[in-house]
Amino acid sequence: MDFLAEGFRRALALLLSGDAEVLGIALLTLKIAVVATVLACAIGLPLGYLLATRRFWGRRAALTAVNTALAFPTVVVGLLLFGLLSRRGPLGGLGWLYTWQAIVIGDVLLALPIAAALSAAAVQGVDPRVRRTAETLGAGRWLTAWTVAREARFALAAVITAAFGQVVAEIGAAMMLGGNIRGSTRTLTTAVALYTSQGDFGLALALGLVLIALALIVNVTLQLLQGKGSG
Amino acid sequence: MVELRGVRHRYDRRLVLDLEQFAVPAGAMLAVVGHNGSGKSTLLRLLALLEAPTEGQVLWDGRPVRHRPPTALRRRVTLVEQRPMLLRGTVLENIGFGLRLRGVDGTEAYKRTAEVAEQLGLLALLERRRHELSDGEVQRVAVARALAVRPEVLLLDEPTSSADRAASSALYRALAEQRAVPSKPPLAVCIASHQLEDAYRWADDIRALAEGRLSPVTPENLFRVELAPAGTDTMSARVGAIDILVTTDRAGPAVLAVPPGDIFVSSAPLSSSARNVLKGRVTRIAAHRPGGGVAVTADVGVELVAIVTADAVRELALAPGVPVVFSFKASAVRVF
Repeated sequence: MDFLAEGFRRALALLLSGDAEVLGIALLTLKIAVVATVLACAIGLPLGYLLATRRFWGRRAALTAVNTALAFPTVVVGLLLFGLLSRRGPLGGLGWLYTWQAIVIGDVLLALPIAAALSAAAVQGVDPRVRRTAETLGAGRWLTAWTVAREARFALAAVITAAFGQVVAEIGAAMMLGGNIRGSTRTLTTAVALYTSQGDFGLALALGLVLIALALIVNVTLQLLQGKGSG
Repeated sequence: MVELRGVRHRYDRRLVLDLEQFAVPAGAMLAVVGHNGSGKSTLLRLLALLEAPTEGQVLWDGRPVRHRPPTALRRRVTLVEQRPMLLRGTVLENIGFGLRLRGVDGTEAYKRTAEVAEQLGLLALLERRRHELSDGEVQRVAVARALAVRPEVLLLDEPTSSADRAASSALYRALAEQRAVPSKPPLAVCIASHQLEDAYRWADDIRALAEGRLSPVTPENLFRVELAPAGTDTMSARVGAIDILVTTDRAGPAVLAVPPGDIFVSSAPLSSSARNVLKGRVTRIAAHRPGGGVAVTADVGVELVAIVTADAVRELALAPGVPVVFSFKASAVRVF
C-alpha cells in the first residue's frame, strides 16, 4: 500500500508545482477531445435527428448500423485508420500519421456513433406534438429541428458528455495513430499507460487525476449550461 | 381556399380517410363531427399540411400542393390539436412563438400576444409555465398561440374538450372577435368536435365523418354497429341496450344512421308500418338550426335525436322527463 500513498504524494506535488510536461499533456488531450467532440457532434447530432424524424428506405438498417458501431473496438478503428494513413495507404500523402490530427480522426469515428445513436434516441423521446406544433405555427425545417432540440436539451447534453467521455478516455486509437510521441502526440491516456509500464506510478497517477478532473470540469460546465431556465 | 380531392389516407395500410372532396372555403365556419376514431384528426392534419395524403391531392387556391409544402404556404394555416403541447417557456413566450418565427418585431408581437391573451382570459397566466396550468388552460393558450399568427385557416381539434362552459364560451367569443377583424381573405375556421350542440350553435356548415368517410346524412344518430340477419330482408343491429331493424343486404360491421327527420314522435305507440318502435323519456329539447324545427333528444335505450316542429312539441307537451315513443321504418335507416 505504501507505493499507492507515495504515488498520491508524488501526484499532488506534480500537480501543485505546475509541472510543464503534465500541463502540456493535459492541454493536448483537452484540445484533441474538444475538437473531436465538436466535429463528432456537428455531424452526429444532425444525423441522429434525421434518423429519428425522417422516414426513408433503409432507415432501420441505418439505425442498426449506428447502434452496432457503438460497440466498435477502439483498436480496430485505430488499425483501419492506420492502414489508411500509413505511408503506403490511400491517405498516406496527407502525412498525418503520428500527428494529433490523426488522433482526432480516430476519435471522431469513435464518437460519431455515440452522438448519432444517442441523439436519435433523445429525439425519438421528444413528444411528437412538439414537432407538429413548431411546424403548424410556421417553423421551417431548421427552426423545427431547433425547437425539438430545445425540448430534448437535457438528453442532448448527456449525448455531448458521453461523446466527450469516449474521446477523452480512449487509448487504442490514440496509441496507434498518435504513436505516443513525447511533446507532440502524448495524451493523458497513452502517458498513463506508458508511465505505469515504466514503473513511474506517481506520474501515472498524477495524469490519471488530471484526466478525472478534466472529465469533471466538462460535466459540471455542461450541467451549468443546461441548468439555465427550466420547464 | 383549401380543398382535398380524391384523398385516401392510410396508416400502415389501414384506410383512415376516404374523401372524394372536402373544402374549407374562405371565411367559412365549418364543423366536422364524428365519433372518436372517425378520421377527424387525420383530416385536420392533412388540411394543416402536416401530412401528405397517401393518395389524392390537397389544393390551395385551386393549385395542388407539393409533397413537401413550402413554409410560406404552411404559414397560412394552423392547427390546434386536441391535446395541444406547450413548448418550454412561459405562456407569454408560447403565445408569441409563431410571431417570433415570422420575425414580427417585439412591440407588435407583444401587442398581439396581449390582445389574444385578453380575449381568451389568459392575462393572469402570462408568466406561468406549462406544468403550472390545467388542461383547459393549456388548450386556451394553444388557441391563443394559433390566433396570434392570424392564419387564413384555423383548424381546431376538439378545442373545448377540457374546457368548462365559461372557458368554451370565451373561446367562441374570441373566434367571433377574430372573425370580425377585417382581413383578406377572411378567417376560415374548421372545428372537429363530437359535441353536436356546440357545432349547431356556431357553425355555418356541418359535415359528419364516420369511418373516414363523409356521412350522407346529418350527423345525429350515427352508430358503429355489427349487422346480423333478422328476417328475410332485414338485419338487426345492436345499439346500446336496443336492437334497430334495418332494411339492407349488407352484413357485418357498418355505420348506421337514423335520419332525425324520419323519426315519428308520439306519446303512445302508433299502429303503423314502422318496425322500430322505441319507448323512452325526453332528455333534452333544443331549438334546432334557424328555421329547422326542434331537436328532441330522448333516451330510448340509447340517445336518439328527432327533429319535429315547434307545434308538435306543444301538442305533445314535450319536456325533459316526459315519456315518449320514437318510431321509424327499417327502410329509413341508412347504412354505409
